[in-house]
Order: sequence, then C-alpha cells, then structure tokens
Amino acid sequence: MAIVTADHITKIYDGKVAHSAINQLSFEVEQGEFLAIMGPSGSGKTTLLNLLSTIDQPTSGSLTINDQNPQTLSAKQAAIFRREQLGFVFQDFNLLPALTVEENMVLPLTLANQPVEEMKERVDRLIQDLHLEQVRNHFPHELSGGQAQRTAIGRALIHQPQIVLADEPTGNLDSKASKDVLELLTKINRERMTTIVMVTHDPIAASYCDRVLFIKDGEYFNEIYKEDLRQTFFQRILNLLSLLGGNVNDLSTVRLS
Amino acid sequence: MTFLQFAYRNVIRNRRVYAAYFMASSFSVMVFFIYSMLLFHPSIENQFIQEIAFMGMAVADVVLVIFTLFFLLYSLSAFLQARSKEFGILQQLGMDRSQLQRLVFIETMILGVVALATGIFFGYIFTKLFFMVIRAMLVLDTLPLYFSPEPFLLTAVVFTTLFIVISIAGSIFIRQSAIIQLLSGSTQSRETAHFSKVGAFLSFGLLAVAYGLVLYCLYEMNVWWSPVIILCAIAGSYYFFKDGILYLIHKLQRNKQLYWRSLRIVTFSDAIEKIRENARMYFIVTMVSTLAIISVGVVASLTSFANQYRESNPISVLYVSESGNPYEASHIDQLTSDFYKENLTYTLLTAPVTKQTSAATNRPVQLLRETDINTIAAVLKEPLIDLEPGEGMRFGQEVRDGQEQLIHLRENTIYFHVDEGYQYFPLPEAAFDGPAYILSDEDFERIVNPYLYGDWASSVTTVFAFHVPDWLRTDKVGLTLDREMIASYEGNQELPFYFDNPGLNYSYISSTFSLLLVTGLLVAAVLILAAGSFIYFKFYTNLEKDRRQFEVLRHMGLTNQELRRIANRQLYPQFFLPWGLAMLHATFSFLFLQAVWVDIAAMSIAMEMLIVLGAFTCIQAVYYLLIRWRYFAHLQLHTG
Ligand SMILES: Nc1ncnc2c1ncn2[C@@H]1O[C@H](COP(=O)(O)OP(=O)(O)OP(=O)(O)O)[C@@H](O)[C@H]1O
Ligand SMILES: [Mg+2]
Repeated sequence: MAIVTADHITKIYDGKVAHSAINQLSFEVEQGEFLAIMGPSGSGKTTLLNLLSTIDQPTSGSLTINDQNPQTLSAKQAAIFRREQLGFVFQDFNLLPALTVEENMVLPLTLANQPVEEMKERVDRLIQDLHLEQVRNHFPHELSGGQAQRTAIGRALIHQPQIVLADEPTGNLDSKASKDVLELLTKINRERMTTIVMVTHDPIAASYCDRVLFIKDGEYFNEIYKEDLRQTFFQRILNLLSLLGGNVNDLSTVRLS
Repeated sequence: MTFLQFAYRNVIRNRRVYAAYFMASSFSVMVFFIYSMLLFHPSIENQFIQEIAFMGMAVADVVLVIFTLFFLLYSLSAFLQARSKEFGILQQLGMDRSQLQRLVFIETMILGVVALATGIFFGYIFTKLFFMVIRAMLVLDTLPLYFSPEPFLLTAVVFTTLFIVISIAGSIFIRQSAIIQLLSGSTQSRETAHFSKVGAFLSFGLLAVAYGLVLYCLYEMNVWWSPVIILCAIAGSYYFFKDGILYLIHKLQRNKQLYWRSLRIVTFSDAIEKIRENARMYFIVTMVSTLAIISVGVVASLTSFANQYRESNPISVLYVSESGNPYEASHIDQLTSDFYKENLTYTLLTAPVTKQTSAATNRPVQLLRETDINTIAAVLKEPLIDLEPGEGMRFGQEVRDGQEQLIHLRENTIYFHVDEGYQYFPLPEAAFDGPAYILSDEDFERIVNPYLYGDWASSVTTVFAFHVPDWLRTDKVGLTLDREMIASYEGNQELPFYFDNPGLNYSYISSTFSLLLVTGLLVAAVLILAAGSFIYFKFYTNLEKDRRQFEVLRHMGLTNQELRRIANRQLYPQFFLPWGLAMLHATFSFLFLQAVWVDIAAMSIAMEMLIVLGAFTCIQAVYYLLIRWRYFAHLQLHTG
C-alpha cells in the first residue's frame, strides 16, 4: 500500500527568472519502505523533501501523504499533521542548543502535551536504544557528530511517526558514525515498519535502502531496487551515478563491511 | 578592492547590527551639540539665567561625554566579540594583526565620523525647537537661533577625540585575543554556564537589604543610609543576573511536571541561555535604565517643589515695615512705580500688627486683627474666619490637641483662648519677633496701652500686601529692595523693613528647575537609547540562530500561532527582566526620595513619580512592539 503518492508534481520558485526545481515528478513510496533519493547537487532533492514535509506546497500536481492531501490542509492543520505523523532528521542535526539531549528528544511529546510519566518512559527506552546514556544531560555543543545525529533521530522517532524524512543525515559524519546511524535507521525501519525517505549523496548510505530514486534537474531519472546483496546494489548505484555524471571512480573499489 | 573599501563595505553591510549603536551615538552627539548651542549663546541678557544655563549645560555636557565614552567602549567590545569568528577567519586567510587592527580602527572611525556629522546636522535643526522650549520656560523675551563656530568646534573636537580613543581601544581588544580564541567565538561563554548557589542567595539577600533599608528610612530618615542602599542594590542586581535568576529558573526546571509542558520547555531553556550569555549586559541595562528613571524623577520632584513654593507663598509682593522705618514712604512709592512700569495691576492691602507681652512667658507676641486677615483672605479667595471676643487663633501654625492655651496680654489685661491655628496663607516669620495671633476686632480695639518695653512707636509693624493677579511677571519689581535684603543677610545687619517677592524667587526657582528638567530629560533619553541599543544589538546578533531554531520547530509541527507565542516569550526576558528590575529599583528610589522630601518640605511627589514611571513604561512598551514587529518579520511569522 502506498503511503506517499506524488502525481506529476511541479515546484516553481518565483524569482527574477522563474525556476522549476521539481518538474512533473511522479512516484510512490510503499508503507514500510526505506527509500533513498539521489541526484546531483541542485537537482531538487531538498525541495522535494520540503514538499513531502508539508513545509512547502507544490505549484501543480497532486500529492497524497498517508491519505491526506497537504494542499487542502490549513497551515494549522498541516502543522498538526507534521507533529503527529512526520519525523525529521537534518544534515546539520539542528538540535536546539539550549536543550539537553534528553530535552531535545522529548520536545515533540511536550508539544502534544503527553503525560510526563509517558514521556519519561519513552525517552528512557530511546536513550538506551540509541546508546546515549552517558550524554543524556549534555548540551548539543558537548556532543560528537554521531551522538548529535543519534539524538536528532531520537527526536524524530519519539512520537512514533508514520514517516521519517531525512536530508543527508550522514553528510556531516565520518564513516563509523555514518554506519551507526544507517544501521539504526534500518533497524527502526524493520522493527517498527516506519517508512523512511532519505536524501543522500553517499552511495554507501543509499545501499542500506530498499530502493533508490534518482532525479536530475527536478525530473525522474531512474530507480533501482535492492534485490540481492548490498555489495552488488552498491555497484549498481555507482553505475547509475556515473550515468548521472558524477565522478565515482574513487569509490568503485570500496568494499562494504 | 582597497583596504578602505573593504572596511567601508563591512560597515555598510553590517548596518543593521550597527543601527542602534549608531543611533545612540549620534543622538548623544546631537544632545551635546544642542547644549553647547545654549552654552555659547551670545544674547541671554539676564545675568542669573545666563549663569544657570551655563552651569547646567556644562555639567550636562560633561556627564554626556563620560557616559558616551563608556557606552561606546562597551558596545564596541560587544561588537568585536560578536564578530570574533569573522576576525578569526580573516586571520586564517592570512590577514596579519596590524591589518586587522587597522580594519577595526577604520571601521570604528567611519561610524564615528558619520555619527558626528549626523548628530551635528540634526542638532542644528533641533536647536531652534530647543530654544523655543527654553524661552518659554525661562520666560525670556527672545532667544534667537545664532550661528557661531564655537559649538560646532567644541562638539567636533570632543567627539573626534572620543572616537579616536575608542577606535584605539578597539584595536587593542583585538590584539589581545588569539586566533583560536576568536574562532571558537561565543561558545566560550557556555563554559561559565554554571551558576553559584551562594551568588544566588547573596543576590536575594543584598536586594532584600537594600529594599528593607529604604522601607526603614520611611520611618526613620537617615540620608547616610543611601550609599549603603545604592551599593547593595548594585551588587544585588549584578548577582541577580549572574546567579539569582538562573537559580530560580533552575528550580522550576527541576519540576518536570511544570517544565515539560508544551512550549515551556523551549521558552524556559531559551530564556536561561539568553540570560547566561547576557547577564552582564542585562545588569548594565538595568543600571542605566534605573539611572535614567531616577534622574527624571528627581528633576520632576523639583518642579513639584516649585509649584508648592508658589502655593505656600500666595501673596505676590510683601513689604513689612517696622514702626519708625524712615524708608517706608519712599519704598512704597518705588514699588508702585515699578508696578506701573511693568504695566501690572495690583491691590494693596495694609494690616497693622501690634506687639504686646504674654503674661505667662513674659515674652513678646504679635497681634493681628480679624478684619485685616479676612480682607487679605478675601482677595486671595481663601475662606474667612469669624472670631468672638475672647477667642484667638494661632497664626501660621496649627494647634494640636492638648496645646490649647489661654493667653493673657499684660499691657491691656486682655484674655483670649487659642484652640485653632490659621494656615490659609502665611506671612514670613522673619518679619516678626515672637508668635503671632489673630484677635477678634472687639478685643483688638481694646489694645490701648503700648508694648511694655517700648512706646507706641515701637509696638506697631505694618504689613503691605500687594496682590498682583499676573504674579508671574513681578520678577522686575523691587529688584533694589531685594538686593538690599540679600546684602543685609550677608552683612548680618538689621533692617527696619522686610521685603519678599515670591514671583521673583519663583522665577529663579522655576527656571532653574525647568532647565534641569529639560537637561535631565535629554540626558535620560540618551541613557534610554543606549540601553535600548544594547538590547537591540544582542537581539540582532542572535537573530540567525533564532531563525534556524524556528525552522526546526516549524518542521516539527508547530503552528504559526505557537511559534509566535514562543517568539514573544523569547523577547520577554530580554526586555522585561532588566526593565522590571529597573522599575523596582526606581520605585524604591522614589520612596526614598519621597522620604527625603517629606523631611525637607512636607511634600508629596507621588503624582510626579507615577507619571514618570508610567511614561517610561510606555516608552519601553513601544520599543518592545517595534522590536517584536521586526523579529516576527525576520522569522516570517506574520503570514498565515
Ligand atoms: N527558496 C528558493 N528560492 C529560489 N530557488 C530555490 C530555492 N530553494 C532552492 N532553489 C533552487 O532550486 C533548485 C533545487 O534546490 P535544492 O535545494 O532542492 O537542491 P538539492 O538537490 O537539495 O541540492 P544539494 O544536493 O546541493 O543540497 C536549485 O537550483 C536551487 O537554486
Ligand atoms: Mg539539499
């Protein structure tokens, strides 16, 4: 069953020259799928994610997310929709600097005015799952990149959203921290059947997904499914990326662990 | 791109950051210039007014310069701190120290020179208006706008020196910090994030002592407490922002039931962060605002004193002549001709005052006649009295319960009861010797024998009361008499007459005070602008961070309405915390001031003080709304 359906969506930015960042794009995301979106810089990935997150509206075309059409929602309804059904992970973590790890994580629940007992229970469990016990009361500036991103993931998951949207979640992490984060996302995807849409530049990160959607200049370019081993999936991603025009020679010898 | 261009562009592109600082400094230049215009005014003829104008303006100018120096120094160090990251990058790119210093020096000078020019320009424009106000206040005939180089030169020289000094100071700040320190920039301040419990309790204690002492002084005035109170209040405020307020919020945060509730978690933590980072600035803003409010309050209370002075001296011109005064006729002639020259209408009322001896004390007492008093009272529109024979009233003083007395005049064996005082208008005590009483006409007629220790000639004093409806214009009446009076005080010699012209005194008092008021108001305006500029600056440097934070919250599903609520609450502590404390300080200072005034003149300044506090609240509210409007626009919270 498709949880996201995009039907010929177009996003035009008005400026001195009107510029279409997304052009007649159609695709679906299945319930429980882990989807990667790839494409060259400026191809419209972040724009697409903003449309999915109801922060922005498509100029034309129709978009359905979890049986809702964001275009028909009022600003307030959209906010509540985001609050209940979506979770976000950003490239630069975007933790609130004034809140501790624990507080950053419970933030979405406090917005929904959950009982404090319930909040404590959930945050305790998540902190264990994310191995953040030691830094529980630290402030964001006292965290390593990996810890910060795990905190951000915790924040995206605590209210058990239907869909998690991630924009280059590993973009600022080294390979070890990236691996932790990706395995974490995979685990969540498996265990909770949470749908994840992740924008990434990193073919290794993409190889963790079930499917990779390639876009170019805001248009559909291609898509591939993981059918076999991750290593072969990775190679196929690299091939497609070189078709897209990226320079991937330096990566083609990488062996995945 | 030359170096100078680079510096110039830095200033222009950072203009939003510098806006409030620029405004405050050019306003300071403007006020300084306007004062200097009065200081050098060539055509104030009145000697006295020229002196007070000169003194007042000179003092205000000095205060302004000193304050501006500190203001600029503090602002500059804050700016450099905010831009430290930028400087670090520049140095990493290979800019050397001396270049960086030059950059800072040039940038500061550019700002300074432009502020100077702007200030003088607007100063000259507003001088006309200022002169009009001053002219009305000092009741001068003319106070023309003039052009002469002195004020321009003075302002230019003083402020150029000032800007050079702080530009040099700025480049010294820079020299003292290492690249790595610059690059890490503001994160440094977080390391000192912890507050001390001792400091918190110290702050509460100090504030309690300061306020407690003020309250104590209401019962038992002692001016020597004031340095203690001021020191306690200053130290208390400092620790309050450094530790006290953090402690309070921390207490709240411990309670998760309270703290983990919808938006509170965001607003509280944000408040803590902002307070931690800006404790010193909040402290300074509090002190500066308090100073501004108090200075306006003090001068406002002086005007209240001037009004009260008039009320307690309702007789426009008073001449008291002892019997046998050889100048009496010539003086009265002179006064009437003065009135004539000034084109003033007047009513002359005379009242004889007779000296007798009280049998009980064997000391002289002065006696007035009921009808004479009533005639004066009628002209002054005061209530009339009706005394029966055997009744008397104590003139100019109240008679408390238990102080009633029966007075026996020895010379004529007249008895009268005194159980009430007469206080509708006073006559100067200096004019008589001994206490004065009002007798009924019947009793007064019975005084036939003169004062025991003299003859008739030495027992009667005559009061000449001139009532002038247009009393404000009597300031040129009896100037020679006034001078003689002053000379006699100074030479300690007895005169056979007494002269008092409250209109003249009032014109001195009120012009001094009005001048003080205008001066105080403008200086306070500079202070308030400076305080506002600190807040604006901090607000502006945090803007980018706040914008990103709001982006996250928006993603997280906060409605615009909720975001607005958060934004609003983020502004509160910055505005209302220093402000609230300043208001509290000012209120207590006014209580103290009231106590002082009660001691001096039995006068209430409540009304004036309420107006001052109210006015400052309005200013602050307007400023808050203005900033909020800009803030919302920046965070794009107005739409939707
Ligand atoms: N707010 C905006 N106004 C105008 N144009 C925009 C805006 N945001 C993005 N664009 C343009 O839309 C295009 C797509 O931008 P987008 O941020 O979606 O790219 P991206 O695929 O995320 O790139 P990257 O991989 O570098 O992050 C770009 O050409 C960009 O210049
Ligand atoms: Mg992007």
